[in-house]
Amino acid sequence: MNNEVKINVVKAVGDSICVTDEDGKKVYDIINDALSDGKNIIISFDDVTDLTSAFLNNAIGQLYGNFDEAFIKSKLSVTDMPKNDMVILKRVVDRAKSFFDDPDHYIRVANAVLGDDSGY
Amino acid sequence: MHISIGEESLKSDYSGFKRIINLHQQIKTINSEDKLIVDMPLWFDANMCAPFGAILSILSNKNVDITLDCQDQVMEILQKNQFLPKFGFDKLSIPDDYDSTIEYFQFDVNDDNNFKKYVETHFGNNVHGFPKMSQELLRIFRGSLYEVFGNSVFHSETNHIFACGQYFYLQNRLDFSIVDLGIGFHGNINEKMNLHLSPKEAIVWAMEENQTTKKGGTVPGGLGLKLIKEFIEKNNGKMQIVTYNGYWEFSKGRTILNTFSSNFPGTIVNIEINTADSSYYFLESETDYENIF
Repeated sequence: MNNEVKINVVKAVGDSICVTDEDGKKVYDIINDALSDGKNIIISFDDVTDLTSAFLNNAIGQLYGNFDEAFIKSKLSVTDMPKNDMVILKRVVDRAKSFFDDPDHYIRVANAVLGDDSGY
Repeated sequence: MHISIGEESLKSDYSGFKRIINLHQQIKTINSEDKLIVDMPLWFDANMCAPFGAILSILSNKNVDITLDCQDQVMEILQKNQFLPKFGFDKLSIPDDYDSTIEYFQFDVNDDNNFKKYVETHFGNNVHGFPKMSQELLRIFRGSLYEVFGNSVFHSETNHIFACGQYFYLQNRLDFSIVDLGIGFHGNINEKMNLHLSPKEAIVWAMEENQTTKKGGTVPGGLGLKLIKEFIEKNNGKMQIVTYNGYWEFSKGRTILNTFSSNFPGTIVNIEINTADSSYYFLESETDYENIF
């Protein structure tokens, strides 16, 4: 039985412009179901013309709230993605890992930032 | 009421935003029985139509009669970029033979498709008159516009978003402004994070790595503005944020913070890019592409 599935992002979104939270949710729903079934998943970004971190947060980042890092790492791969977009994806993934690991991180950084002020 | 914005050229800088804010302060109490005449400057960076139009829209909603007193060259810009016709002024649009203007538009926050169409129509190497850019630069720039628009939709708690742009061919520069009349960075952050930040402090908070108001939710966030800043630095461009009386500017590796004596009633994000940049990578390139997850 073929345990591998290829998800084409443009087909899932219905658009080559993959930029909104709603666009990302469409992809997330498919990946989430496939991961729940234990599938090996190849996510193809072929023909995507526009991409945002907001889209990737919704499509992939939020998976880290449902599945652990090791499981996602063993099941997910991407293909047909330009290097600049892969940099964004990597940042989204790293951000997602810390988001779900440490939800109070923002408080400590806020306190540090309030003491830092530069200007004219 | 007869008001002057000042004769001096109105540019996308601290002084230009200050003059827009001063205008708002003077006209915000006008009621529907009044008429307003605005003496326009001798030159107007057309992307500043976005904050200018946002301010005037508040009066349009009150059915205030507005007249803009312009020199011919400013009148021409405001016709070419559709600002005057869109506002219901009795002026037709005229073709932009130099292809230097990017249409002024007011978007409904619920209409993502309209903004997608707008970006597709105006920003592409196949668009007549669009300055030739590398495909990589164009992709990253368009992504930045979508990030900023998405931020306004998600965070501003308002109904409309205003946008306008301008090419400056001789300087290889493109400026694009996205504006909302929402609760501002501080309104959003203080409400969701139970903090007490000033508008300026709120911008600084938002620009810190990994900051987001999406705490406790199921979807991470907080990268969009940081990625844009990173891109702007590598591109040798400029990024400006005005939120209420807070001002933040990033250019040539330097961050400038300031405040205004009054508030802009929302948020302005202006992105200026160097269109002659032929770099291939715009973001951090020390990425382990084999271990994304």
